[in-house]
Amino acid sequence: MRSPRPAASLTDVLDRHLKWVTLGPAVIVFVVLTAFPLANLFLMAASSIRFEQAEEIWTFALWDNFRRLAGDEVFHIALWNTAYFAVVAVAIEMVLGLGLAILVASLNSFKGVTRTVLIIPVLMPPVAIGSMWSLMYGHDFGVFNQIVTGLGFQPINWLGSVDLALYSVIILDVWHWTPFVFLILFAGVEGLPKEVIEAARIDGARNRDLVFKVIIPLMWPAIAVALLFRTILAFKVFDQVFLLTSGGPGTATEVVSLHLYKVFFMQNELGYGAMLSLAIIAATIAFLAVGHRAAAAVGRR
Amino acid sequence: MPKSKLVAVMATTALAGALVANAAAQDSFLDVGQQEPITILINSSPWYNGFENVVALYEEQTGNVVNLEVTPFDGMLEKARSAVRSGGTSPLDLLNINGTNTVEFYEGGFLQPLKDIDPDFEVPPEVLGLDDAGCWDEEKKFRICETGKLMGYAPNGNVQLLYYRGDVLEEKGLEVPVTFDDVLANCKVLHNPPDAYGYLQRGQKGDSIYYDFMAYLLAYGGSIEKDPANGDFTVTINSPEAKAALDKYIEVGRTCGPENYATLGQGDLIQLMQTGKGMQGHAVVAAFPNFDNPQKSAVVGKIDAAPLPRATPDGQPGVAIGSWVFAIPKNASEEGKKGAIAFSKWFLTYEAQYAYAEGGGIPVRTDVFASDLKDREEFRWMPAYLEEIEYGKQLLGYTEGPAVNQILGLRLNQALIGELSAGAALNRAAEDLEELFQRNGRKTGRLEPLPE
Repeated sequence: MRSPRPAASLTDVLDRHLKWVTLGPAVIVFVVLTAFPLANLFLMAASSIRFEQAEEIWTFALWDNFRRLAGDEVFHIALWNTAYFAVVAVAIEMVLGLGLAILVASLNSFKGVTRTVLIIPVLMPPVAIGSMWSLMYGHDFGVFNQIVTGLGFQPINWLGSVDLALYSVIILDVWHWTPFVFLILFAGVEGLPKEVIEAARIDGARNRDLVFKVIIPLMWPAIAVALLFRTILAFKVFDQVFLLTSGGPGTATEVVSLHLYKVFFMQNELGYGAMLSLAIIAATIAFLAVGHRAAAAVGRR
Repeated sequence: MPKSKLVAVMATTALAGALVANAAAQDSFLDVGQQEPITILINSSPWYNGFENVVALYEEQTGNVVNLEVTPFDGMLEKARSAVRSGGTSPLDLLNINGTNTVEFYEGGFLQPLKDIDPDFEVPPEVLGLDDAGCWDEEKKFRICETGKLMGYAPNGNVQLLYYRGDVLEEKGLEVPVTFDDVLANCKVLHNPPDAYGYLQRGQKGDSIYYDFMAYLLAYGGSIEKDPANGDFTVTINSPEAKAALDKYIEVGRTCGPENYATLGQGDLIQLMQTGKGMQGHAVVAAFPNFDNPQKSAVVGKIDAAPLPRATPDGQPGVAIGSWVFAIPKNASEEGKKGAIAFSKWFLTYEAQYAYAEGGGIPVRTDVFASDLKDREEFRWMPAYLEEIEYGKQLLGYTEGPAVNQILGLRLNQALIGELSAGAALNRAAEDLEELFQRNGRKTGRLEPLPE
C-alpha cells in the first residue's frame, strides 16, 4: 500500500509557478489599464453608438466609419497641420533645448538658479499658459502689439491671420516645451564623462569641435529620448490650440486632437470619434517610424 | 422709564418688526415646504451672479439647502453627461443644459418629464416658452410643446441685442440703426481703427460665428433646413437669401470690425465695448451688465440697446434664441427630484424672477419685463428685449444640431477670411449637411448650387 502523497506546501506551489506569480500583477495592470480600454476603443471604432431610454445602443458600422474617415476633409487638413506643427515646433525646441543645456552646463556659477528659472514654463498649467498667451497675443490690448505699435508699426494680427496663426501657436509651444527638452538634455550633458571632454581639450579641440564631435555624439541617447517624447506630445497638441484659436481662422490651426474633441465630445459621435482616435495613434506611430528610419539612415551615412 | 427697560422695549419692537417684515416677505413668495438639499449644475456665465443671489434668497426664505455646482461653460456638457450616463444615482438634481445639446438628453431618455414627477407642475403662462425649448416629442424626435412632453424650462432667455454708444450717435447726429444698411452708413462715420470700431460681431470659428450670423440669416429670410419639425430635412442653407445674408455679414465684419474680425470672440467683443472702442455691435443680452459695471467699464451708462437690425425697414429682426434648459435627470434621487421641482416652482414665480433680474439675471417672465424694472437705468435693455423676443426662434431642435453648428461654424468662417467665396462656402455647407442628414436616414436633399 502506497503512502499518501504529502500535500504540496505553499512554498512548493510558489516555486513551481514563480514566473506566473511574479508576472501576475503586471499582467492584471496591463489587461485592466491597457488591453481592455484598447479593445473597447477598437470595438467602438467599428460601431455607431447612440442612446435610447438611457441605454447604449451599439450597431456595427466599421465600413461606414472607414468611409467617413477617408472622406473627412477637415481630418486630412488637421493631420497635415499637426505633422507640420510637430516637425517645426520640435525641431526648434530640440535646437534651443540642446543649446541651453550645453550653455547652462558650462556655467561655473548660478547653474542651479538658471536651471530652475528656465524650467518654470513647463511647470505652469496649460490652461494658465493658454489664457496668458491669448491675452498677450490680443489684437487691441495685447502686450506684443503694444510693443509693435510702440515701435511705430501697425498691430499684427497674431491669431487672426491665416498665414500667421499656426506660427503663433508654434511660438507658444516652443516657449512652453523647450524647458522640457532642456531638462532632459541638461541631465545628459551633466552625465557625460568629464575625462573624455578633458582629453579632447588637451588634444586641441576647439569649442565648436567639442560640441559637434564629442558632446552631441555622446548625448545621442538623451537626444533620442527627448525627441521621442516631444514628438509624441506635439502630435497630441490640444490645449494651446483650443485656447488660442479653436482651430481657426478657417482650418489654419485645426489639429487632429481638436478635431477629435469636436467629433467625440461636442457632436457626441462616439463611434466615429473612436475611429479618429485610432487613426491618430496610427499616424503618430507612422510618423515616428519614418523619423526613426530617417535618423538611422543619417546615422549610417 | 429705566434705561434697561427702554432697551428691552426697543429690542422687542425691532424683533417684532423684523418678524413682521420677514413674514410679509415670506407671504409674497411661494411656500414650497421643507425639502431635502439639492444640487444644481450651473454655468459661470455673465448672468451667474443673478442666479446665485436668487438661490441665496430661496435658501433664506424656505430654509431649504441648494448646492451649486458652478462650472465653466466648456465643462457643463461633460458634467451633465457623466451625471446621467454613469449609472447609479445622479449627484446632480437639476441640470442646466445648453439649448443646442438638449436634444441629446431628451432623445437619450436621460431626463424625467416634469409632470411625471409632479402632475401638478405647470410653467406659468407668463413664462417665456422660448420657442418650445423645454419640450420633446419622442415620436417626431423634435422639440415641440404642442404634441410633446415638458422636459424642462429655460432659466434665462438669452437673445442678442443691438448695442450702440448712445452718446456718440447723438453727438454725431446719427440715428439708431434699423437695418444692416443703416449699420453700414453709421459705420462710415464712426469707424476709425484702432481707436473706434464701427460695428462688432463675433467671427470666431465655431459656435460664435454660427450664432452671430443667425442674426443676418433669419433677418434675410434664410434658413438652414426646410421643415425639420415635420421631417423634411432638405438643406436650404445655399439659398439666395442665405447668400445675401452672408454677403452682408462679411461686408459688415470686414469694413466695420477690427483687423481680427475673423477670430473675434465674446470676451473680445465685450472688452472692446467696455473700453469704449466699440461704437455699435450685437451681443447676447447677458453681456449688458458688463457695460454698466464701473469696475470693468469705461463707458458706464453710455451704451444703449435696441432690437437687432433687419434686412429692410419693414422686415423682422433675426432673433435666434440661445437659451439654457433646466431639467431633472431620470436617475436623480426621489428626494432630489421633489426638491428640484419645489425649487423650480419657486424660481418661476414673479417675485423670484423679479429678484433674479435685480441680481443681474435675465428673467423669463414677461410681467417682470413689463414691471417698473424697465424704467430703471440699469434695465434700459428690457424694452428692446421684449420687442425682440416675439420674433425669437429656437434653431437646431434635432439630434444633428451640434454637428450642424460645427459645420456652419467652419464654412462661414472660411467665407469670412476669404478661404472660400460666400457662394462656395454655402454650397460646401449644404453638401456637408446633406451628407450628415443622409447618414442619419433623414429625408433630405439640397437646393441647386449657388454660383461660386
